[in-house]
Amino acid sequence: MIAMTHAGYVAAGWLATFGLIGGYALSVLRRGRTLSRQVPPEERRWS
Amino acid sequence: MTATPTAGPAGGPPSPTSTPSRPEAHPGPASTGSRATRVIGLLALVAIGLLALYGLVISPADAEMADAVRLYYIHVPSAICLALGCFITTGASALWLRRRSAGWDALAEAGAEVALVFAAITLLTGSLWGRPTWGTYWTWDARLTSTAVLTALLVGYLALRRLDLDPDARSVRAAVLGLLLVPNFIVVNRSVEWWRSLHQESTLFRLDPAIEGDMLVAAMVGYLAFALVFTWLMIHRFRVAWLEQAADRVDLDAALAARRSEAQAPPSAPSAPTEPSEPSAAAPAAPVEPSGAATPTEVPSR
Repeated sequence: MIAMTHAGYVAAGWLATFGLIGGYALSVLRRGRTLSRQVPPEERRWS
Repeated sequence: MTATPTAGPAGGPPSPTSTPSRPEAHPGPASTGSRATRVIGLLALVAIGLLALYGLVISPADAEMADAVRLYYIHVPSAICLALGCFITTGASALWLRRRSAGWDALAEAGAEVALVFAAITLLTGSLWGRPTWGTYWTWDARLTSTAVLTALLVGYLALRRLDLDPDARSVRAAVLGLLLVPNFIVVNRSVEWWRSLHQESTLFRLDPAIEGDMLVAAMVGYLAFALVFTWLMIHRFRVAWLEQAADRVDLDAALAARRSEAQAPPSAPSAPTEPSEPSAAAPAAPVEPSGAATPTEVPSR
């Protein structure tokens, strides 16, 4: 493992960043799936 | 991990589950994904992998900040994504106020929510960088304070969008608030020049960039990765906002159809007053209010 100063701060920053982005991305996808079941297909014009 | 299908659109209460005309299964995309978002998502994952490689392994430690510089590779791109979200929200708000097109309203909402995510990351990584560099997680410095104010404005904007108001009035109020985001961001951006600040000035966006070599490559990969992530999130979130508006319309159409069928139904012949039936032992009658309450044969008007 690479010797690193302030490793705890760096690790916390990176983990929090990509954890937050990943969690938010999943929540957006989940909301999209739920709403897609509720609206007619002409409202979902992307493919 | 399935969300409840009763979740209503943003800004409104949960939708009733008993809407008879709401379709449950349709052909077509079953999510907000498309070929374009899948490509962008794949590229974003590759870029994040490269960022981890350059930012955590290849990039050397900085002479002054030591390895805390590795937080720079995610902190600055996050701040740029925050700026992009603010510009999109303000621009879309202005266009919505001018043209009243539902797409601009959805784009403004999407931009604000994505901007808030990056605002949180900016503040968090900045605090984690500040502790080893400045000796404190937080100080009421001009840059930090103005960023916190901008974050609070984004929270207020999204809270306003969830108020139970007439959708048009809610969108107007949100759009007026959305117009303030870019002026506020300009204050954040210029704060290190307008006031004495602990925060360093621009490192990269100047004529003689203060970093070079592998550190410059890591910074560039960081911008690329965050740009792809931002684009992917914006497209998905915009589609979610679009679907929320569509679900609202479906609910409204169903309610109107129910009212119309109620109004067009032939009036039933007045029935002769009947004796109340004896309450059975299996199904005891509900207690009846002494006066002014609906009798069992009355249908409450809605």
